[in-house]
Amino acid sequence: MGKSKKNIQIVILLAIVLIGVYAVATVVFGSDKVPKVGQKAADFELLGMDGNVHTMSDYEGKARVINFWGTYCPPCVREMPALQSQWEKWSSQGVEIIGINVGENKVTVENFVAQTGVKFPILMDPKRNAVASFGVGPMPTTFFVTASGKIDHIRIGELDLNTLDKQIEQLVNAK
Amino acid sequence: MSQGSKPLIQNTKCDCGHQNPTGTVLCEACGKPLTEEAEAQPVLEMRYDGVARRSQKANPGVIDLVWNFFSSVKVAIYLILFTLIGSSLGTIFPQESTFLNIDPSVYYKEEYGQLGHIYYLLGLSHTYTSWWFVLLLVMIGASLVICSLDRVLPLYKALSRQRIPKHMSFLTRQKVVYQGPVEEGGIEWVERVKPIIKKKGYRVRTDGGTLLAEKQRFSRWGPYVLHIGLIVFLLAVLGRNLPGLYMDEHVAFPQGEPVHIKNTSYYLLNDGFKVEFYTEDDMPEEFKGKNKVLPKEFQTQAVLYMCEANCDDLDKDPELVEVTRHNIEVNHPLNYKGLKAYQFDYDLTPILRSVSPVLVNSKSGKEYGKITLSINDPQRKYQAGEYTLTLTQTYTDFGLGDNGKPVNLSPNPNAPAFLFLIEGPDLPKEGIQYFYFPKQIDKERFNQEAINAQLAGGEELVSLDVLSMDDVDFAESTTYLNIRVDKAMPFIWVGCFIGMIGLIMGFYFTHRRIWLRIDDGILTLGAHTNKNWFGLRKEISAIFKGMNMEVDEKSLENNRGNKHESN
Repeated sequence: MGKSKKNIQIVILLAIVLIGVYAVATVVFGSDKVPKVGQKAADFELLGMDGNVHTMSDYEGKARVINFWGTYCPPCVREMPALQSQWEKWSSQGVEIIGINVGENKVTVENFVAQTGVKFPILMDPKRNAVASFGVGPMPTTFFVTASGKIDHIRIGELDLNTLDKQIEQLVNAK
Repeated sequence: MSQGSKPLIQNTKCDCGHQNPTGTVLCEACGKPLTEEAEAQPVLEMRYDGVARRSQKANPGVIDLVWNFFSSVKVAIYLILFTLIGSSLGTIFPQESTFLNIDPSVYYKEEYGQLGHIYYLLGLSHTYTSWWFVLLLVMIGASLVICSLDRVLPLYKALSRQRIPKHMSFLTRQKVVYQGPVEEGGIEWVERVKPIIKKKGYRVRTDGGTLLAEKQRFSRWGPYVLHIGLIVFLLAVLGRNLPGLYMDEHVAFPQGEPVHIKNTSYYLLNDGFKVEFYTEDDMPEEFKGKNKVLPKEFQTQAVLYMCEANCDDLDKDPELVEVTRHNIEVNHPLNYKGLKAYQFDYDLTPILRSVSPVLVNSKSGKEYGKITLSINDPQRKYQAGEYTLTLTQTYTDFGLGDNGKPVNLSPNPNAPAFLFLIEGPDLPKEGIQYFYFPKQIDKERFNQEAINAQLAGGEELVSLDVLSMDDVDFAESTTYLNIRVDKAMPFIWVGCFIGMIGLIMGFYFTHRRIWLRIDDGILTLGAHTNKNWFGLRKEISAIFKGMNMEVDEKSLENNRGNKHESN
């Protein structure tokens, strides 16, 4: 009798602890699902300019520079050539640069890509799903994600082209 | 109640031979007061029938200590007090959640000064979603469960194992007491009184010259049933955080396109929007003559679809099947299997969706063919008769940049513009460039004709013209709906219902017990109820009357232990 009573006590206390941990965890982490620096970057599933569906896991194991841009955003347009030249330099060393176009149609993006000569993967987010899950506010916003998938740094606004190279180098070493 | 641990300090063995658990106040078997404190009481404290609470143990372990902490009503009251203080702190300044788009680290300082900044730094700007507030709620829940279990189980056992003969000192120290001589023998008298008590709705058990009558015992479970209701309620509120159980979002629905409702497989189509305005005569005095527009009624003709296939495919259109339709008005939401859509707002600005212009010869006016140009998702190539139109540049919000070159100002289709390369008969071999602004206002603003004349090398050769309004497709209006899902709500109602049953059990019914024994021609009666003592005394007085004994109701009251003599 005494033993089963004790077991019931333990079961009840355990249930309370579990519910408590769950409740506290959901309000502390759940209210703001947007990943911050040091946390795992959000997932995305977007159609690329190549006609294929790209997901975050396609780039697993690579250091990633994820740039949110639009043709209507002059600083985004200005920093495109720099991103292209960094891609040419680093893509052989396990770095991927991904451009996510926000809210525009295929023809517009195609025209832009053709005119600027961008070769790195460009994905389209017409419904702003990735914008929401990454918590992108003003554009451009660039996420530096390590090979293990953690956000190393978030740059809001135009990239500092003088330090971009160093930043990518740091990202590669941050493995 | 057998307990594993041995009583060390207190001797809990009663004179009647029953071994009581530690913490027992009144012997579980005969009701004799066991503690000195109880012994000194002229009227016995009958709380929980004097049984030990489960947490009262001689040498508690760690788990027992945690259990004991939560089993204390004092702790529960402090927890409730802290929660009250905490939730009132949250009302000093507006909570973060009341703003749509602010940076709290700056906002509170700017708006409320240094005090506001401290408020933010302390985390009080999101009191109700702070870890400590939720922890307090969980602790109240724990206290509710443990307090109840700690009392209800021993009480249940005590009440279901009641012995009929009670100790004399138990009977004479009840709040309702009678002592007096009877002429018959004990057993005969008890048998004679039995049907009279039964008639009053009591369940009666006898044991020789002793009797126990009891009614409405279930009212004792009222508070615990209420607690179960509260626990269901609390769990349902917590359960809202589970994915898919709760949603509250405001979504825009332009007329004519199904819009996906996030995290569900539903699409909702605004199939038409009607709005009726107050006429000048219907308006209140203060609005008259001020050019105010007041809507009287607005209605969204909504069609709800379920996605059947290609739902997550990015390069295919989803296959939708209609599940229901409803005309949504304020206070008349669409409701389909717990998904509710409430009318919230509207916008009567038309949104251009597509145009179908005809390619014509600017000089002769000859029509070559029609194309359909989608504003949001244009194709690369169009064919108008023998002419090929290739889109080389698109703008959603056309403008001129600092260097005088055309730029896109925003992703919103405020001023859509398209640059075509047109190739075909009677045109230069390399084709001509042609700028097309679908909106008339933009055509004039940017001087479309002049641009095209210049691009064609002097004069406009061909042009794209919309010939009738039938060739223009636009969403007349946009309706804003508040989409809500609350699957936890039924459980909240169930919790409230259980709680209500508990309240009724506890409030409207009284647990009454009458014990009596006859020793050597002397009748001793004791009675207990959890409320309405007056009613109990009246009932006993009536029972005595049935036995041809005249006993005044008031004399039944135990006057600080002084025994009443019968008349």
